[in-house]
Amino acid sequence: MGVMNTPLRRDRQDLLRAGLGHALNLGLPLLFVVIPILSFVVVSFWTLQDGQILLIPTLANYRAFFTEGSYLSVYLQTVGLSLQVTLVNVALSTAIALFIFRRTPRMRFLILMSFMLPLFMSYIIKVYSIRSILGQRGLLNEAMLGLGLIDQPIEALLFSRTAIFIALAVLYLPYAILPIYLALDRIPANYLAACADLGATPLQALRDVVLPLARPGIAAGAVFTFILTFGDFVTPQMVGGTQGFTFGRIVFSQFGLALNWPLGSALAVILLATTLLAVALAGLSLRREHVR
Amino acid sequence: MQPLLHLDNVSKRYGAVRVLDGIDITVADNEFLTILGPSGSGKTTILRIIGGFEGIDGGRLMFEGRDLSAVPINRRPFNTVFQDYALFHHMTVAENVGYGLKVRGRPKAEIAERVAEVLDTVGLGTLGGRYPALMSGGQRQRVALARAIICEPRLILLDEPLSALDVELRAQMQRFLKSLQRRLGIAFVFITHDQEEAIALSDRIIVVNRGRIEQEGAPEELYRRPRTPFTASFLGDNNLIPGRLAAVDGRLCTVDTAAGRLDATVDGPAPAPGSAVLLAVRPEHVRLDADPAARDGLPADVADVRFLGANVMIELLTPALPGAVIKVRRLADGAVAGLRPGASVRLGWAADDAALLQAAP
Repeated sequence: MGVMNTPLRRDRQDLLRAGLGHALNLGLPLLFVVIPILSFVVVSFWTLQDGQILLIPTLANYRAFFTEGSYLSVYLQTVGLSLQVTLVNVALSTAIALFIFRRTPRMRFLILMSFMLPLFMSYIIKVYSIRSILGQRGLLNEAMLGLGLIDQPIEALLFSRTAIFIALAVLYLPYAILPIYLALDRIPANYLAACADLGATPLQALRDVVLPLARPGIAAGAVFTFILTFGDFVTPQMVGGTQGFTFGRIVFSQFGLALNWPLGSALAVILLATTLLAVALAGLSLRREHVR
Repeated sequence: MQPLLHLDNVSKRYGAVRVLDGIDITVADNEFLTILGPSGSGKTTILRIIGGFEGIDGGRLMFEGRDLSAVPINRRPFNTVFQDYALFHHMTVAENVGYGLKVRGRPKAEIAERVAEVLDTVGLGTLGGRYPALMSGGQRQRVALARAIICEPRLILLDEPLSALDVELRAQMQRFLKSLQRRLGIAFVFITHDQEEAIALSDRIIVVNRGRIEQEGAPEELYRRPRTPFTASFLGDNNLIPGRLAAVDGRLCTVDTAAGRLDATVDGPAPAPGSAVLLAVRPEHVRLDADPAARDGLPADVADVRFLGANVMIELLTPALPGAVIKVRRLADGAVAGLRPGASVRLGWAADDAALLQAAP
């Protein structure tokens, strides 16, 4: 006969197991999320002197954001761009999600998957294909030339603010379509039947039932788009050229080119604070949500 | 008189499956009509066709003499109480109830006034500001009813609305539904698979099975005089005894069975003598004589006695009808207290309590 588990020993083992569980619950997010973020928050208060990072606490990095160079104006421009992209992206995604929602269940899956396909592709490939579409000898210009809509290629399609705008809006479409579609999918089928039964036209049902119930998905899609757009520094660089100096690129250049980690960290903290604000605003708009 | 609604020889198929096969149903004004059938009988399809959620493949759907087939759901003068109520969870009770008026563009003040009236009617006067998620099943049921009656439809369709409620609430809602229907004077078309519910509520019951109408009539008529084996066994319990019709004398029929000649009665036209028939006898109508000296009736042995509260259900085996179990329902009083499995009894019934059915072809 093996060793008997005395009640006391079992108690101790349970306690140990529970303790370990709690430690993991708290420890994993701490290790992988909180500490890395805190580390650059800490760095943002350090001082850079003659290319050396000194552990002298200072607010100079944050002051620089408001007073020096074009940090603040680029920040505001990027907020504006991100809001525009978010608006267009969410409007498009809502239309697409509604389109998918109205197909037969089998078609829905197919169409949804084809819209999700870009998620499985490399980011770089996507940006390059957008470049090849927008370029001077790109698909769009060639097509418009061929149709006789324009006499000569439009150069401003690439390496412009418009290019960044189009690229970002296309790139982050799947991130908005998915949550919006999932919200639509959760609407009980008989709600639409009830609307019609009560005399509502399809448009009235859309206004009163479908869109209000899709709101959490729309908010999630908007937050995703805004955060991803706001922090993106590769797309603006690749399709925006010199025109595409966004806030993300400034942060990146502080770590890369300028090797000013404290300032870079301070700007990153501001970026983080902005995205957190976006999340908070989205959450606020959903406060009146009623769980069934 | 022209019926309010007429399903004229309506057929419906899903792919190769024929769900409704030439159904003919009329609904009169102010009537409480129940469509009763097991699951898969096509009863929900009938409701969905009336409501406009399903098209039809044959026949016509007439409302006051007008063909409704091309009229979309939102223009039909009917409202539906859905099985799971389909209350919009993002709207308050008042918003839910007033929605039918809102989409018709009525002024806000009028909507508020009507909503208050209707909520009073269903006994939810003060709960307009609540959200449906915070209400009990019975209250949600009333909200669904209020939402359906506010537009003063000519007909309300109810899709097994009581099936989600517990027994006690169910009985309470049955009484409420019935009284509401009388007060409003709107025709109710009620779908259920629960025969007791159908009997308790309806002015008229239509029994459907496998996409066809088995029988229709007042509850008491259907219960006392089932005409098909399906109706006889679906509406309450019945002992069915097969035989061949020997002779007909007015209402009185004589049937040759394995247990000899037995008498039954028939309302309406009797089947042709010589045809295969069934005798249907309700368990509560079977006479039981435990006196060893008794000589009347068929000898039988008690196989089982089940106590059901107010009643006992006794199962008998009789050598005269091999293979058949005769069910007998009795009040659980002193007369049956001594009955034990194995006891010998004699059984019988009055000819008036034996209904004659045409056997299934």
